[in-house]
Amino acid sequence: MITLGHYIVLSVLLFGIGVFGILTRRNAIGILMSLELIFNAVNINMVAFSKFLTPDLVYGELFAIFIIAVAAAESVLGLAIILAIYRKKQTVNADEMNIMKY
Amino acid sequence: MALIIFYCMAVLILISAILMVTSRNIFHSALYLAATLFGVAGIFVLLNSYFIAGIQVLIYIGAVVVLSIFVINLTKKITGENIPQFNKQIIPSFIVAAIAVVLIILAVLKTDWFKRISGGTIAAMDNTAIIGKQFLTDFIIPFEVVSVLLLAALIGAIVLVAKDREDEK
Repeated sequence: MITLGHYIVLSVLLFGIGVFGILTRRNAIGILMSLELIFNAVNINMVAFSKFLTPDLVYGELFAIFIIAVAAAESVLGLAIILAIYRKKQTVNADEMNIMKY
Repeated sequence: MALIIFYCMAVLILISAILMVTSRNIFHSALYLAATLFGVAGIFVLLNSYFIAGIQVLIYIGAVVVLSIFVINLTKKITGENIPQFNKQIIPSFIVAAIAVVLIILAVLKTDWFKRISGGTIAAMDNTAIIGKQFLTDFIIPFEVVSVLLLAALIGAIVLVAKDREDEK
């Protein structure tokens, strides 16, 4: 029997790995991909809570679908910004992007 | 039986997530990310949310990972042997992430979920039809707002990437 705690612990571990990736990666693409891990941790939480606590409603799943859509939009814009910065500065490392510090 | 599948999926998710975060080659990182997302889709199937599992595979693996791989291939010379892929904050970052994880897990294990809200049995049915009905009745305005947001992201991405090319001419 899988309980709600199983899903939440899995989601917390995935969240921790994502936070570690965001804090340590130099590559901006790697930071964006770690962000996707955090979104997925949240989605697991949403669907698990919706299934276990309100089994006859689907609000958690609707929220997960909205999160997926917004994450796709965010990923597209982030990668476009990274590509624009790469054309100007020839780098994708987050600690070398100081173009706003004039 | 379901528990065994759950643990297999959890091991797949966590191992490929750790490999994704610690891999030196960013291209391998993207492939491990695809494995992680596939495992999360399996978790959604275990939760009887087949529609979300489907759009997880379609949007995340089919669009986001492929887009990341495109950008990785467009930005060359970023995975050389002597280019460090990690900054100098690995130990503080690990401590911060570990503290957050341990605290949340302790809080989760101390909470008795099923005393707070009655019920607690997992709904073993496919609710794709209910989701579709909710989208077109109660959630019609957020649904349309998300479509406008996606259009804005599309136009914004084109504007951001295409501006430099006009400057060069």
